[in-house]
Amino acid sequence: MGKILAATTVAISSLCLAPALRAETLVVNSYGGPYEAIIRRAIIEPFEQQTGIDVVYDAVGAASQDYAKIKATKGRPGFDVAVMTASQSLQGCQDGVLERLDPTAIPNLRYVAPKLAKSAGPCGAVHELQYMSLLYRTDKMESPPRSWSALASPELNGRIVLPTFQNIMALYLVEIFATMNGGDLTGNLDPGFKAMSDVARQSIGFEQSSAILESYIKDGTVWAMPFWNGRAQLLVDSGLPVDYVRPIEGTIPLIATLNIPVAAEHKASARKFIDFFLEKTSQEAWVSAYKVGSARTDINVPDDVRARQITTEADLESLLLPDLSVVAARLREWGEQWEREVVAHQE
Amino acid sequence: MTILALDLPGPRRSPRQGLVPAFGLSPAGLMLVFFFALPMGMMIGTSFHDPSSGALSFQAYERFLNDGLTLKGFWRTAIMSCLVAVAATALAYPLAYFLARSKSRFRIIVFALALAPELAGVVLRTYGWLIILEDRGFINDIFLHWGLIDEPLRLSKNLFAVVVGLTHVVLPFAILSLTTSIQGIDENLERAAQMLGANRLSVIRMILVPLSVPGIVSALLLSFTMAASAYATPALLGGAGFKVLATMISEQVLFYVDWSFAAVMANALLVLMLVVSYAGLNFETRLRDRRGVKRGG
Repeated sequence: MGKILAATTVAISSLCLAPALRAETLVVNSYGGPYEAIIRRAIIEPFEQQTGIDVVYDAVGAASQDYAKIKATKGRPGFDVAVMTASQSLQGCQDGVLERLDPTAIPNLRYVAPKLAKSAGPCGAVHELQYMSLLYRTDKMESPPRSWSALASPELNGRIVLPTFQNIMALYLVEIFATMNGGDLTGNLDPGFKAMSDVARQSIGFEQSSAILESYIKDGTVWAMPFWNGRAQLLVDSGLPVDYVRPIEGTIPLIATLNIPVAAEHKASARKFIDFFLEKTSQEAWVSAYKVGSARTDINVPDDVRARQITTEADLESLLLPDLSVVAARLREWGEQWEREVVAHQE
Repeated sequence: MTILALDLPGPRRSPRQGLVPAFGLSPAGLMLVFFFALPMGMMIGTSFHDPSSGALSFQAYERFLNDGLTLKGFWRTAIMSCLVAVAATALAYPLAYFLARSKSRFRIIVFALALAPELAGVVLRTYGWLIILEDRGFINDIFLHWGLIDEPLRLSKNLFAVVVGLTHVVLPFAILSLTTSIQGIDENLERAAQMLGANRLSVIRMILVPLSVPGIVSALLLSFTMAASAYATPALLGGAGFKVLATMISEQVLFYVDWSFAAVMANALLVLMLVVSYAGLNFETRLRDRRGVKRGG
């Protein structure tokens, strides 16, 4: 009888104490594939060791799908931190579904370059930068392309592929071609659309997914195409005969942000996670491991990484930064113009 | 002939007896209310919201009716679905007839082959067609290798590719629908017609096809609605220039984050399917009524 009583007491006590003893859990939503392996090694495991917080990694959905989920659930999507982009950060702030991030709770926000912090708005913590590069086959092209106008050169006729408008690279290309032809980044894109209609005639088609885009350059069907440099670097590292350049006219970055849905369950842990990700050592680890740029210009990274990534004030100054709020407001109009003036020409 | 209808009192039923079937239907009814009627109502409500202010607005409907690209997508959806419905029904009919009438030992194998595509997912099958049809695909490779063509044929990223891919997707459903219908036709009618001198073609034209109209209509409607709401196949096989309502709805939800406009497009898709379904069922009813009158007269 005594044994039964003791066992019952132990069982009841463990049931009562379990929630108190269990480590806090944080759900981080981000990408799968190589990204997941790298973020686990470079950021999540050190974070868990330092804070004792368990991180559950949710690799379901692209950033646009995550944002749709956040909006549909009014800021209670079932994850506490989302990896998205500056455009979604601005939209989420405007829709009231993302939390405004406070530098007193996340001290490392102060080290984010002001230019980029402004682009992402008050709800996004910029933790990574990639830029649109010109990826090319080293075994097919006589010399490396230096300018975006190479995409319209006779050498590449039928040897390029373009993104669909639902891949933001398409609009960024139009904006770059607009600046090259007398227009500007958001005010007057007409020269950009006109130039892109010429480029489109050379293209074998349009693809939305990065995985499909890269399949064309892998098998040699296309010899050059615009591509995010982080993913381009992975192709270079895999040993393919490809390389990428930042063309002389400049480029537009993809600003990646960490965000907290407004009704997230573990907000305090989410803030700790963001602060940890923005720490100097974490940014150094992330930039070196994932081969991307950083919004902190005080980091120390190997020279080969620094040579190809956005890591300095000078690098930041060279970037073309369109006003993303204008982009969001005029996206639909430009999407229709793209269909009429670019896609129609390719067909 | 005069028909007398006798108005006799029906058998007495206690109030409890009426509750039993209602109770049996309630799980399905509740499921329909919560997972179909309610979301549909919410979607219709969303279509009348102004995306920026949330106020009541017809702006999204006005835009739909005045936007050339969207209307083009609407008609493209209708044409694509019609072609798929006709192709799937035409291909399914001979197979369904074989399955309904044959006593062959190979019948079960044909039946398994007809349904086998359903074992693989839609996306998998669509990628299969992409590998076959694309510029660097199987067909073009063979033709180029044999020297039949100098340049790859444009077999993918167009209406043709989507119709081929979707016909493959909906074919098993059309076969099942037609098989059931043909099985319901009395075989003796065909034998009797042949004994009275009708040739095989006349039997098909005057006996089989008219009597299998309900099956043909249901195969057409099933194929049409499945094709109209398909997303993966048009998105993968159609290419950037081939936009149908399903892919445009996804764009509005995920890329443009304009849910009111997406809801208007979804409503337009629903109306298209309802109109076609009504027209199909109406046609079938009229045909049946006409046959009934002929027999009666």
